[in-house]
Amino acid sequence: MSTNKQVTLSRRNVIKGGLLLGTVAAISIMPIKVLKAEETVKENTTVKTKKQIGFSYDEGKCIKCESCVRICQETYQWESDTPWRRLLKNDKGNALSMSCNHCADPACAKVCPVKAYSKRDSDGIVIHDASKCVGCGYCLYACPYHAPHIQKKTGAVSKCHFCYNLQDTGSGPRCVGVCPTKALTIGDMKELSKKGNLDYKGLPSSKITNPSMIIIPKA
Amino acid sequence: MGHWGWLIAIYLFLGGLGAGAYLASFAAEKGLLGKKTNLDRLGYVVSGPIVAFGAFLLIFDLGQGLKKPWLIINMFLNFSSVMTWGIYILSAFICVAFIKAFFLWKKRQAPAVISYLGAILALATAAYTGMLLAVVEGIPFWNSYLMPVVFVVSALSTGLSLTSLLAHFFEKQQVHEMRVSQVHLGLVATEIVALAAFFALIYSGSQGTIAKISANMLLTESLSIPFWLLLVIIGLVGPLAFYLLQARSNKKVLLTSGDQNSALNSERGGIGLLLCDGAVMVGGLTLRCLIIFAALPVWNGILS
Repeated sequence: MSTNKQVTLSRRNVIKGGLLLGTVAAISIMPIKVLKAEETVKENTTVKTKKQIGFSYDEGKCIKCESCVRICQETYQWESDTPWRRLLKNDKGNALSMSCNHCADPACAKVCPVKAYSKRDSDGIVIHDASKCVGCGYCLYACPYHAPHIQKKTGAVSKCHFCYNLQDTGSGPRCVGVCPTKALTIGDMKELSKKGNLDYKGLPSSKITNPSMIIIPKA
Repeated sequence: MGHWGWLIAIYLFLGGLGAGAYLASFAAEKGLLGKKTNLDRLGYVVSGPIVAFGAFLLIFDLGQGLKKPWLIINMFLNFSSVMTWGIYILSAFICVAFIKAFFLWKKRQAPAVISYLGAILALATAAYTGMLLAVVEGIPFWNSYLMPVVFVVSALSTGLSLTSLLAHFFEKQQVHEMRVSQVHLGLVATEIVALAAFFALIYSGSQGTIAKISANMLLTESLSIPFWLLLVIIGLVGPLAFYLLQARSNKKVLLTSGDQNSALNSERGGIGLLLCDGAVMVGGLTLRCLIIFAALPVWNGILS
């Protein structure tokens, strides 16, 4: 029945197998390197030349009134379990008001297959165009800060857009405007990054996406 | 967070399965699976439909895309997105696989360039299913260059199993080439090594503590039962042991070389082989599901 062959591992077969394995390894490893290289190129060029605005949060000044969260919800009517802005608190009395960080290397924009995300050259604001979004959810995994959410009603992603429409008319974002103690402010990242960063209390390393937000921890 | 579930896992599995089936038939056609073979057609035939069906399933996982399907065409747009690469690779592979199947149906020799192009695209499809996850830095457990390696080896193994199963039921000519089991033994062994290396890399700490917590879920915690039972024992160690035993008894048969004896043996091997092929596919599907379900974000969204 079975045409029994002796196990013969000829040199030819070994070379063939080696080539196959090599190709597999090359195909699987190369793109990671390409993506990483892309990132470093971006870091070296765009970040330093283009303007990037960002948030600054002064924990010592924050009275945890949540006005920033409320005004954002009232203005943009997002569903409560898919928030644009959140006030994070722990039981040690720490707090952090955070939205999308309009990263210098936005992971969401990189992975989005339909180019729903765009980053403005003029100020670095990352805007998501819900009309293009297919709702694949890839950006939800890519963003380390949980900024994009899929809205139940539309099935499309939505997230903070830094009130770009208000900023274009010369006023600041609603959350910053409503903050009674000026704990939440905005500024140019060139200045802000001298005062701090976002590596705080278990937050992911800012090396992943280079977020445009700093926190000044309370003393 | 946690948007992806069963559909994505099944899609990743079918992507690998279809690609693997194509490559199994390609290997058989090139004589890598023994001189006499009946695996050189069915893998080609099913590969296109399987990958197409997987991609079709994916549409049901879309939020807005399900309601407004015309938006899906834009998924070809962003060249920095691995998902966009995947859309290109999958579309191309499905086309080439259908062309190859068409030639088989017409009983004509397909141009070599079609067969080779299909094989390269099949490899790319299998690698893509791993790449999709491996580039996500927000999920440390996925963010490993060994992820595509594990997925490719598993794709080859499940594809070979599917093709063998189909050949057993649908091909008139029945052959039991020892060579197929030898190749499959190699694949299963490689998959075990790759999976072990994958976990070793995570426990070396190079991907941080969150990746370790994900790995713990699989090895010792909530997902440990399907991991050890369905993936390791049924999907990997079982087939490995079976193929090893088969290789051994085959040697004995060669020595005694009684005709009756050998016929008996291959009959027993037949049922075992079928079970084994089924088990390999169960393991492959379990692998995809577990990897999707064990995803933990690099940050859980709360202040420590």
